[in-house]
Amino acid sequence: MSKQFQFKLVLLGESAVGKSSLVLRFVKDQFDDYRESTIGAAFLTQTVTLEDQTTVKFEIWDTAGQERYKSLAPMYYRNANCAVVVYDITQSTSLDKAKTWIRELQRQADPNIVIALCGNKTDLAARRQVSQEEAQKYAEEEGLMWGETSAKTGEGVSEIFTAIAKKLPLTAPAPKTTARGAPGSSGRGVDLNKQPTAGQNDACNC
Amino acid sequence: MRSTLTHDTDPLQLIRRRLGKSKSLHDSLSGRASPDGSESPELLQRERSIRTNRRQKFINCLLQEDINMPELRKLAWQGIPDELRPIVWPLLLGHMPSISGLRSSTLKRKREEYASLVEVTFARDRQLDQQIWHQIEIDVPRTRPGVRLWMHACTQRSLERILYVWAIRHPASGYVQGINDLATPFFQVFLSAYVDSEAEDFDPTILPPSVLNAIEADSYFCLSRLLDGIQDNYIAGQPGIHRSVKRMAELVARIDPPLAAHLASQNVEFMQFAFRWMNCLLMREISVRNTIRMWDTYLAEGADAFSQFHLYVCSAFLVKWSEKLRQMDFQGIIMFLQSLPTQSWTDHDIEMLLSEAFVLSSTWHNAQSHFSGR
Repeated sequence: MSKQFQFKLVLLGESAVGKSSLVLRFVKDQFDDYRESTIGAAFLTQTVTLEDQTTVKFEIWDTAGQERYKSLAPMYYRNANCAVVVYDITQSTSLDKAKTWIRELQRQADPNIVIALCGNKTDLAARRQVSQEEAQKYAEEEGLMWGETSAKTGEGVSEIFTAIAKKLPLTAPAPKTTARGAPGSSGRGVDLNKQPTAGQNDACNC
Repeated sequence: MRSTLTHDTDPLQLIRRRLGKSKSLHDSLSGRASPDGSESPELLQRERSIRTNRRQKFINCLLQEDINMPELRKLAWQGIPDELRPIVWPLLLGHMPSISGLRSSTLKRKREEYASLVEVTFARDRQLDQQIWHQIEIDVPRTRPGVRLWMHACTQRSLERILYVWAIRHPASGYVQGINDLATPFFQVFLSAYVDSEAEDFDPTILPPSVLNAIEADSYFCLSRLLDGIQDNYIAGQPGIHRSVKRMAELVARIDPPLAAHLASQNVEFMQFAFRWMNCLLMREISVRNTIRMWDTYLAEGADAFSQFHLYVCSAFLVKWSEKLRQMDFQGIIMFLQSLPTQSWTDHDIEMLLSEAFVLSSTWHNAQSHFSGR
């Protein structure tokens, strides 16, 4: 039987860089030109299946980007196994903001957190302000994953999440803490094979 | 669109004209039987007469030289008839004086004041606060997306001005996401005084500029009044919201211990869902129509209802789903709470919620010590 893992993922980044659109593309393969701003945070899940049939379920907290909501962020990243920090390739200031988030994660989040830097809106490449070289160089220096995406066209979206799934420690099943984000937990992947699933429990009701 | 549209922007005049019109409409309708035949004509007749009676009480109250505000509040708590709302809201918010002789001149003065505020704020030689302006510029096109009224450039420019002028004059908070949502009911309600069709589908470009300016100015002042009561929600650290969410959690622990225990066992934190309930006053959870009905009661309750009474409404709102929630795990709970099945909610559902909140507030409001010292 294939292995199943569950990880907490948090999305961070400046307002309107496309965090919610990126998740919507990843989770529902949809895109809206205009979406209401996220207030507080939104929760979604999506599962990816790797080549060896391992499945990785992401529990995603999509946070609000406006500076005023910054104080809420620790609640969402404190138990996260991975973070996607998003910037908009057409707004160079959004990369500065992404760097600020990365520094905060490096200081405050779980030391083993996997961080991916993601340049969104490649469909607007004509208005590009952040070069691939600049972002990639920064990511390499900081030891981060890096990729570019377009939530609008779908380009690169599943790739970045799959890459994260592969980077997560899928070998050592750890205590079942991650998913629920129990305060103070810093668990790694949960091997769901070790837990009875709801489906198995209900199977003999007939 | 109305043929009687004029540059006369005194809402009371408009309402008077409107009432004459809708009364004849109402009379012609009341002779008809129930369209689907499901309800007895007697019952319909009775409901209609209650409504007419209520409306008459409102009208009598509004036609007083000096409006009896406690009486108006009492009436408004139960809901304001749609056609009277554009005049009742500004009265309840103190934007329009209760003395009828002062009304026209006060409105004229305030609208001029707003026009000059806009002029000064957007003067050519004045630099815009880039951070605030940028955020507003991003948020305005995604305010009520898909609703025709809010997709028009002229409505969007109005909203930008309202939000920016307010933000500049309130530096402690500035513009915070969610305030854009709160501006929209005012605009729609004040617009409804000038149009017969559904405000949300209306093309405002066909209105004369003077009317649009009046709607914008009145929306600005009324939004300001509302925000005065909840400014703590939007200043650095958002202490108002943190306080409300904490009190809500304490209250739910008292009124529905099994639910509180279940949420705790699933590691659900109130902040994870109730933050938005406080920040946007449940506007992301219920329809604008429901919100407008809810605000009738909030405005009747008084200035601090948007922080105090709202917390009881939120608690009643959560407890409403208790049975369902207690059968869900963390993921189910969070997902359910962020897309609640309230799409079909009518005024009646909102009124039930408000009554439940009223009972809670009567029971618990003066009993804070009972649960804060736990």
